[in-house]
Amino acid sequence: MDTLVLFLLNATWQIAALALTALGLALVFGLLRIMNMAHGEFVMLGAYAPVLAAQWGLPALAAVPICLVLVGAIAWLVERLVVRHLYARMFDSLLATWALSILLRKGAELAFGRQFRNVAAPLDGVTRLGTVGYPTYRLAVVALVLAGLLGLWLWYRRSATGLRLRAMVDNPALAQAAGIDTARLSAVAFVAGCLMAGLAGLLLAPTLSVAPGMGLDALIRSFFALIVGGLGTLEGLGLGASVIGGLQSGLSAVFTQTAGYLGVLVLAILFLWRRPDGLYPGR
Amino acid sequence: MKRFVIATILATGFAGSAPAEVRLGVLVPDSGPAGLFGPSSRQAAQLAAEDINATGGIAGEPVTLLFADVGVPPAQAVQSVQRLWRAEGVQGFVGMHDSAVRAAIVSQLRGQVPYVYSAVYEGGECAPDTYVTGETPAQQLAPVIPWLAEHEAAHRWYLIGNDYNWPRDTNAAAQDIIAASGGAVVGEEYVPLGSSDFDASLARIRASGADAVLVTLVGGDSVAFNIAYAAFGLDGQALRLGTLIEENTLAGIGAANAHRLFASMGFFASIDSEAARSFDARLHSRFGAEAAQPNGLGESLYDGLMLMAALGNAAGSLEPGAVAAVADGVRYSSPRGNARLDHNHVAQTIYLADGSSGQFATVARFDTVPAGVSCE
Amino acid sequence: MGSILGVNLALLAGLLLVPLLGGSFLAWQIGLFLIYGVAAQGVGFAWGRGGFLPLGNALFFGLGAYGAATVLRATEGALAVNLLAMLAVALACAALAYGLAVLLFRGRIGSGPGFSLVTLALVLIAGQIAETTPALTGGFNGLSGVPPLAGIDPFGAFYYVVVALVVLVTAGLMLIERRPAGLILRALVADEGRLELLGFAPHRVKGWAFAVSAFVTALAGALFASHQGIVTPQSIGFALSTELVIWAAVGGRVSPLEPLLGAVAIGWATAMLRDSVAWWEVAVAAIFLLVVLLLPGGAMDLVARLWRRLRPVSRSKPVSPLPAPPVRVAPPPGGELRLEAVGLDAGGVRILDGLSLAAPAAGVLCVIGPNGAGKTTMLNAITGRMPIRQGRMALGGHALNGRAPHQMLRLGIARKMQVPTVFAGLTVDETLRLALLAGRMRPSDALRRAPLRWRDDGLDALLADPGVPLTAEPGKRAEHLPQGHRQMLELALTLAADPRLVLLDEPAAGMSPAETQVMVRLIRAWQARTGACAIVIEHDMALVESLATEVAVLHQGRVLAQGALSEIRADPQVAAVYAGGHK
Repeated sequence: MDTLVLFLLNATWQIAALALTALGLALVFGLLRIMNMAHGEFVMLGAYAPVLAAQWGLPALAAVPICLVLVGAIAWLVERLVVRHLYARMFDSLLATWALSILLRKGAELAFGRQFRNVAAPLDGVTRLGTVGYPTYRLAVVALVLAGLLGLWLWYRRSATGLRLRAMVDNPALAQAAGIDTARLSAVAFVAGCLMAGLAGLLLAPTLSVAPGMGLDALIRSFFALIVGGLGTLEGLGLGASVIGGLQSGLSAVFTQTAGYLGVLVLAILFLWRRPDGLYPGR
Repeated sequence: MKRFVIATILATGFAGSAPAEVRLGVLVPDSGPAGLFGPSSRQAAQLAAEDINATGGIAGEPVTLLFADVGVPPAQAVQSVQRLWRAEGVQGFVGMHDSAVRAAIVSQLRGQVPYVYSAVYEGGECAPDTYVTGETPAQQLAPVIPWLAEHEAAHRWYLIGNDYNWPRDTNAAAQDIIAASGGAVVGEEYVPLGSSDFDASLARIRASGADAVLVTLVGGDSVAFNIAYAAFGLDGQALRLGTLIEENTLAGIGAANAHRLFASMGFFASIDSEAARSFDARLHSRFGAEAAQPNGLGESLYDGLMLMAALGNAAGSLEPGAVAAVADGVRYSSPRGNARLDHNHVAQTIYLADGSSGQFATVARFDTVPAGVSCE
Repeated sequence: MGSILGVNLALLAGLLLVPLLGGSFLAWQIGLFLIYGVAAQGVGFAWGRGGFLPLGNALFFGLGAYGAATVLRATEGALAVNLLAMLAVALACAALAYGLAVLLFRGRIGSGPGFSLVTLALVLIAGQIAETTPALTGGFNGLSGVPPLAGIDPFGAFYYVVVALVVLVTAGLMLIERRPAGLILRALVADEGRLELLGFAPHRVKGWAFAVSAFVTALAGALFASHQGIVTPQSIGFALSTELVIWAAVGGRVSPLEPLLGAVAIGWATAMLRDSVAWWEVAVAAIFLLVVLLLPGGAMDLVARLWRRLRPVSRSKPVSPLPAPPVRVAPPPGGELRLEAVGLDAGGVRILDGLSLAAPAAGVLCVIGPNGAGKTTMLNAITGRMPIRQGRMALGGHALNGRAPHQMLRLGIARKMQVPTVFAGLTVDETLRLALLAGRMRPSDALRRAPLRWRDDGLDALLADPGVPLTAEPGKRAEHLPQGHRQMLELALTLAADPRLVLLDEPAAGMSPAETQVMVRLIRAWQARTGACAIVIEHDMALVESLATEVAVLHQGRVLAQGALSEIRADPQVAAVYAGGHK
């Protein structure tokens, strides 16, 4: 019984962490169709925000504004100089953002050094759920992710900006004709997507090894979660994260970690082949 | 007039030849997964070169170091090695890098140049004119596991490592040592390189009832595992022993997550000895703010160069045949202590350190531990 | 850009100079990057010629390398056995690639990121397996102590083996470009849908392109094993895959030489400068970024374009024409097109609703109707572009349900699209040569020179019409043609394969009255000569008057009325629903 509860908690954590990590990419790739290969690097930059806060002797909460400013500024620059020209060119956006990811990684190495950094969890200790103990911080993050996704979903459905975004994604020319400033909306959406990635890094930093090269893993897992779930919707993101996270947890628990890793890749291939629109096609 | 002509001829003759020096190639990882050890490796090597030159160099000639980045795939690493050897006249190599690169270098050099490998590795390197100062699993575990059994009541071991040669060979050695010390292995598992999620493994560790975990994960995997381990409160159930946990990894893990985390290596920055303290002092005085955190992997280059110097001095040159003839029994000393070459491996001092405070504190010291490698 | 022989001799001379001028050590260094360069050529070919981006080509490189290493170790480098083994592995990789491409592209237009991500996932799986199965691959440490092929010294004569491969592959790829295969590939990248209607299955064409790419890459991998003496999981990993893509992106992918130069220039410069210049990797990434943003064809492509501008335009030698072989179709159905109660939905809208139509066996049936009646959709249904929900379609005895567009030509059905669709980047002359390949070419003709000289009387007659200006400017690029000429070119494309049933979707749209007359004349002449059936969708009633032997009116997805034009004109239902216009 214990093992089952622990397994369910682990699976929930995996799914929540994956959904959080992939959220920014869901916006940038799912809606704007930019294959942002630098997504992982924005996660990495967010993870360094608490490192900077500690380095500058600021309280832990200061990491949040640091993250927003650091990631936001870089994302805005990237959008202005590079991404702006690539909205209709998917392969070129893949290559250009790949080059950017190398540059960002090298920049981080120069600025922070290559060594591992430790980020202390704001909430220490283990919460007892019956006979099973689970790290408190993880439970807090899961709750935050659920609340955040729900809030985002409501916002997207109800708000005026959400409506404009949906219009732009559906029919850019018509949206422009209707007076929506698509260039600005796209830029804002891109920066927002990167900010979400940064916040994901910030929240997950206490549970990961923080180093300049940590982005690649986040990138690949995010892509595959979106492929399986379907691009363009939050429901798809949730589904994809659930399937990938759940499968990896399950296979790792029953067989080995290698089986989990390979299983996810095989599943992604099957989806790309048979159901390229994913489980919940957006349109 | 005649004297003038003779002098000119002699002067020209001498001017034509380059000043005599010994050129050594130092192979460090500046990029790739081990890239974070680049700075500490280079600095340790430079200190070693200064020390060697201060005592007369190798066979009377001063030492010049040429560095190359071998944190790249073996094909590219070998390019740098060949370039240093054939184009730059390097007479010996000292390297700290992974085993795949070592295998490539060994097959290219084919014993034509002496080559000292200084990194922790899986043991078993018997190529001609190749000498290893790096710790072997036998060295790191043979004295340490019985000590932990006696002092920390570690009897039920869980073995977890990345899935490739070094962890598997380490665990194979561990099995024998654990059995000999009266313990039992209650679990063994391997995870792919680059794993970030260890929840399933941690659940298995908990369920196995282990009281000790041998961690042979590397790099970021080690950091992530140890963070998650402590987050689940497993440090109360079982101690951890790592054979590749050095100061950088410990810093990444963080003091809060390092309770009952032990490490077994040949060097820690905090070793309480004259040699280690002076090494640390010289590092800071020489490099100031740029001084990299000394650690076992970076410092190993110092040992490697010391061995190369000792070999060269014993043989009178770095010609491989001459070196091989006198190699066995050569001694040198370093911040680690005293070491003796035994065939082509080094019997050296092993330290067991406790990282619970976030810094390594040595709790035990084992002198002249044999490498346990037999090449016929 | 130059003759195959000329370019390759220059390449050969340049490569042979390297050991002469730089010594055998430099040759060994360059040799590694020539090997990587051939692999990059494989990537460049798939990407530049096939139009899809393989992100995991190191899979084939690694398979070639591990395969060669295993056999070399087992046989101590014996020449004949190893050459055979290398070839076998390369062919196996080609077959694997073909299968992959066909599976992934079947039934889909376009080469989106899905394919790229699948190749990425495959290379990640392969890398993982290579690291963790020491029995097969030596695990993390790899297979070492690999003896070189036939004992040839990697620091000596082996360079010439590498050069031989480079020249062979470059010449081979250039050959493909100049033959019908190259023409088909360029058409594929320009417009897959149009190519489909010429009877070429895009997924199979891409399969062949990927197979060539894999073959070339695997051969490079096989030589790598001999050259380096060690094969590690890095040779089958993600990092190498991305480096190949970067070299092809920066070097260029338009001609086979470009990725080769990219690999040698960047790869070798990196090896030399990485240790002395601390920010070298940043510089390469920045160059990569700039090339992607500013020079989409690659850096070398810029040079190539300048070269083309400087050189005088070469006049191609007049070639003696060959009569084209007959069109290979399934046995003539000798029947008419029949649609029965066809229903089709798309995007939640019912477009075709119980559509039943019988076309005459010969003659011109004009289909008219208001916008949104479903006329173009009907053609989409017939040619298999859109799946139908219910109903039956047949031509003569042969069922059309569930068939793919590339099978249409086989059944003798040809179609001209509503928006005049020609192949951007192909000249008028090339388009016409491609038209004659449709339906007549065998797979083995793809690499022969003769099929490009085919001529057909029927097509010549059409082109000889005084109203058709296409022969005046054979070298003009198709996308630069004005609308009217484009319509005529597409008509020529459509009629070239001797179809039994031609579907013409607004053939005179955007044409002047004079041009419209020409079109009418051409269609009539063709119909008279071949005695086949044409279904023409049109809005211009004058054209309908002059062409139609029968008229059908479509409204809200079904046939409202069918018969002679005079009957239709008199029908009060038709009048209520639709009034045609005059030009």
